[in-house]
Amino acid sequence: MRDATQQIPTDRASLIAEVRQLSPNLSADDTTVSSIRGGRAAAKARLKTLDPAEYGKTRNHLDGAVTQLSPYIRHGVMGADEVRDQALELASCKTAEKFVQQLTWRDYWQRLYREYPDHIWNDVEDYKTGFGPEDYADDLPEDIAAGETGVACIDQFIDQLLTTGYLHNHARLYLAGYICHWRRVKWQAGAAWFLSHLLDGDPASNNLSWQWVASTFSHKPYYYNLDNVEKFSGPDIDTAFKRNKPLAGTYEDLRKRLFPNGDFQ
Amino acid sequence: MSVIWIHEDAITLDHPAVTMAGEGAEIIFIWDTERHDEKAYSLKRRVFIYECALDLGVKIMAGHPYNVLRELVGEQTIYTAWSPDPDYREIIADLRDTHEVKVIEAPGLVSVPDDVDTKRFFRFWNRAKKSAMTPSHQVLESETA
Repeated sequence: MRDATQQIPTDRASLIAEVRQLSPNLSADDTTVSSIRGGRAAAKARLKTLDPAEYGKTRNHLDGAVTQLSPYIRHGVMGADEVRDQALELASCKTAEKFVQQLTWRDYWQRLYREYPDHIWNDVEDYKTGFGPEDYADDLPEDIAAGETGVACIDQFIDQLLTTGYLHNHARLYLAGYICHWRRVKWQAGAAWFLSHLLDGDPASNNLSWQWVASTFSHKPYYYNLDNVEKFSGPDIDTAFKRNKPLAGTYEDLRKRLFPNGDFQ
Repeated sequence: MSVIWIHEDAITLDHPAVTMAGEGAEIIFIWDTERHDEKAYSLKRRVFIYECALDLGVKIMAGHPYNVLRELVGEQTIYTAWSPDPDYREIIADLRDTHEVKVIEAPGLVSVPDDVDTKRFFRFWNRAKKSAMTPSHQVLESETA
């Protein structure tokens, strides 16, 4: 359909039109395109922003020095080894370790995918939440899909997911925790939704991380409170109590509320 | 002459599958709309993948990879990058009924013994750390020493 000698569309609108033409079943309502560009040059430009020292200090903060290289690594445009090599060029082993450790997570998920492909869509272990799979909804509620939950920070994270196709890892955890534990929806529904939208959506990294949050691939469920969101969010995220009430409370209160029969340490 | 099938898990020409196929091999990326529909990929995901594929400057064909490759490839050998994706593994297994398919794996980020414990990440990390923290050029040097 496209020969190597054919001219590549120079403007993005033409490129998007080609994708539309190739995707006749895609909903006409789906019109959002990310500002993150594909291709090797874009990946190299991102790699130039890598700062392993700053990453180590700020990586958990939503406005921290993360690289956003994951979409390129996911599709093999840039190898994780190339990114690691650059980190070790820029910083000492000690300084770069946190960054390389995060890169190694992907390697770890890929090994599991290879070894246990059935784990990708099935519970690896039982839930430790005090609930069984039958207690969780099969489908993603419409208000979540539309980003209209009424919980301000959650709606902002959903908006980021839908418009950019990228979320900071911590925001992914907040959103996944909300869906699994506050709304008691099966992790599979959330994982499939993320894969539709995340430019770096990879079945292994994504689904096994969802299982880590849900507790079917960890010894306890991942949950958090509004104070935690406030601590790691920049000024752009609305963490006002009155607009985020379901997330507010001490960890003890939330544990009682979310997991009244939970049996975990 | 050989054919190199570029799939969505390795949209790159910097891969040993490309090197091993040798000069003159025909390189194609296959755009699989059915796969995107099945996975409910949003427009933004599709655009990103297409942009990555266009950037390679290779021939792009649309269809199911099995059908496209069956039709395109005569006696040639098909080279492709290894992927854990069960769909790709199935396509490769089917193609092997009629064609020679060489699936090439790029060196990973880490090298660990086969019996490494993968039950939890940090157990894995403890065994993988030394290798993960070694730059590629040092691995190459020790391999060629």
